[in-house]
Amino acid sequence: MRWIGAAAIFLLMAVIGHLAILNAIPSRIMSAAQARMADRGVGMYQWVAATRMTPETQTIVRPSPDLAYAICRFDVSDGPVLLTAPSAETYGSLSIFDSKTNNVFIARLDGAETFASVVVSGPGASAESFKGVPDGAQTITMTGKGLALIRRLAPDQATHDVAAGLVDEARCEQVVD
Amino acid sequence: MRVFILLLIVGFLGLFAGGASALWMGGIAGSGPRLGEAVRIDGWTSDWSIGSEAANPYIRARIARFGLLALRKEEAVYFTTARDTNGRRLRDDCIYSVSGGTMPAAWWSITLYDRDSRLPMNSDGALSFDASDAEQMGAPDQWGFRVSADQSGHPDELWVSSRNAGQFDLTLRLYLPTQELLDDPEGTLQPPIVKELYCDGRS
Repeated sequence: MRWIGAAAIFLLMAVIGHLAILNAIPSRIMSAAQARMADRGVGMYQWVAATRMTPETQTIVRPSPDLAYAICRFDVSDGPVLLTAPSAETYGSLSIFDSKTNNVFIARLDGAETFASVVVSGPGASAESFKGVPDGAQTITMTGKGLALIRRLAPDQATHDVAAGLVDEARCEQVVD
Repeated sequence: MRVFILLLIVGFLGLFAGGASALWMGGIAGSGPRLGEAVRIDGWTSDWSIGSEAANPYIRARIARFGLLALRKEEAVYFTTARDTNGRRLRDDCIYSVSGGTMPAAWWSITLYDRDSRLPMNSDGALSFDASDAEQMGAPDQWGFRVSADQSGHPDELWVSSRNAGQFDLTLRLYLPTQELLDDPEGTLQPPIVKELYCDGRS
């Protein structure tokens, strides 16, 4: 009887440990990625164009060498965040990932969709009430820290330079109350 | 008291075993089991739940480990193979031909990654082959390239370098996939054919 009880406790604790660790993995990896980016000088609330992906410059797993990347780190705990990015003729997208690695928003930047801006806010925050929210902005909610990523098709250095130049026209900033 | 201490130890052992198995299945400790391969076509595997909240915790953990910031299927789908047409593991001391035709997407690329999901550490500048290369070949519907550790003897041939990759895999990215592909991947996609041409010590 004692051994049955011990086996039951072992199994119960194994299931608890398994689920706790498994569900924590994405958040921990995302948190580590954010920390690595911060170490490399990627500040909060600003788009930073990545250098062309090569074996020497890769910072995340499985980067695509055919794309130009720009990244912005933000935290909706500090208030709503406004994200914009200009469209171009070639394939491109703006995607937002939450702290659990979910792809919570995506907009195409190749002119096929009329994307102007998106405001990301925490749950319960009414982003529309902020003065700095542009008319027609899309709104989404999420919690805590997030990453926004612009991908643009750039299979060679010339197209990569053009894509990198477009980063200056994009905005990633806290919305003014 | 002895019983209490015994149960405490058993509980800790259970927590440890559960945590260790989660790290293994999530791909953090060791490569773990093959998960996230719900779509299988001729040795190429993918999973349509990548990037979405619908993904189960095992897939989410493995994607975080091996493909952080992956997009949802409506924007891009990712197929990977680590074996040639004979089922042999892809290695940097072998030479392969990769060929294919029209892909059901707006744009596509094939990139080589080493065992750690990194671009291989070489300076050859030949990391991938994409739709633009196929068009430049003048054969967007019948393209081919070589995968090898060096290009010696074939300077005019398009290639992807496997130098310093060890055991590697190839990832096919399909951007803006067609609805037909999403609805019926097995009936729509004819994935690239990876054929071994030569293998050091085997041929």
